[in-house]
Amino acid sequence: MQGLFWILLYQWLGTLLSHWGLPLPGPIVGMLLLLGHLQLRGGAGESLENTASSLLHHLPLLLIPSAGGIMTQLETLLAHGWAILTALLGSLLIGLPLTGWLLQWLMRRSS
Amino acid sequence: MADATQLLTPSLFEAGTQHPLFGVLLTLVAYRLALGLQHRTGWHIAQPVLMGTLLVVAALYAGGLEYDSYQQSSSPLWLLLGPATVALAVPLYVNLKRIRELLWPLLITIGIGGTTNVILVLLLAGRLGAETIVLISLAPKSVTSPIAISLAEELGGTAALAAVFVMLTGVAGALLGPPLLHLARVESHAARGVALGLNAHAVGISQALQDSKEAGAFAALAMSLTGAITALLLPLGGPWLLGHLSGSG
Repeated sequence: MQGLFWILLYQWLGTLLSHWGLPLPGPIVGMLLLLGHLQLRGGAGESLENTASSLLHHLPLLLIPSAGGIMTQLETLLAHGWAILTALLGSLLIGLPLTGWLLQWLMRRSS
Repeated sequence: MADATQLLTPSLFEAGTQHPLFGVLLTLVAYRLALGLQHRTGWHIAQPVLMGTLLVVAALYAGGLEYDSYQQSSSPLWLLLGPATVALAVPLYVNLKRIRELLWPLLITIGIGGTTNVILVLLLAGRLGAETIVLISLAPKSVTSPIAISLAEELGGTAALAAVFVMLTGVAGALLGPPLLHLARVESHAARGVALGLNAHAVGISQALQDSKEAGAFAALAMSLTGAITALLLPLGGPWLLGHLSGSG
């Protein structure tokens, strides 16, 4: 319960700050606030750890409803099918291995 | 006494599908089936978000149901995305020491990776003749959806398209990420996490968490930093890029 309280409190505060002019969405600001809180307290505590890990464990479940929104955009998607498919896949096929490789290379160099 | 055919009347079907939590139930069933399939087959294509979404969409089509009413009745699930994002602070905190040690490599990778993503997607779609509104909605596709949606709207794209591109990228990234990283011989969990979080936001994080909590923490960090950097720089560099890339193609 206590874990959920802190998470919701920081999300709420984050949303307020983001309305106030911070160029980041509320939940991301909330994440940074909670990170600050954890640093000050020096640990997460059992309740917060349990709440966080159960929320994160089922992340795919929470993402499915938004992904279903693809149903409503089929017309545009089909009209530009090739351009969209090539652009999305092309940037993934190059960008994803590139970033993984780059960070691994930089880490090995610095250590 | 009613026989079986009389039991399944249209009004009963309606009562079932209009139930305020029908969307939650449908999503849970689809997710459970998707997990079972992934567990049994071990296929990458059985990625839970992809398979779960396909099952939900198939069920909605089969039942002749609208996405809008599903979206409403599944709100308890997607409303938890906010708290789940905040909760990412916990794995981030646990890995903070390592993140600090790797601060410069991380910033360089995220800067280069994020920029490459935007340029590539605009270049490819622009050359293939996509309309400007599609291009603008594509530009923030690697960023977590709340940021991508507001960026797309700010720059003149559409929120609905941006949201769909974000989801498509996420699902494709989570699906193709592990084999691509294997091909590129990226073994470090930190690097795998960053690649997934940077290119496939929250879906990438859920994929990275299957590697380890460390990979998940780095994915969360990459997603947040990519989001922040893109939110700050895309409004400045985006219009210029669009003019150059699509104009020359």
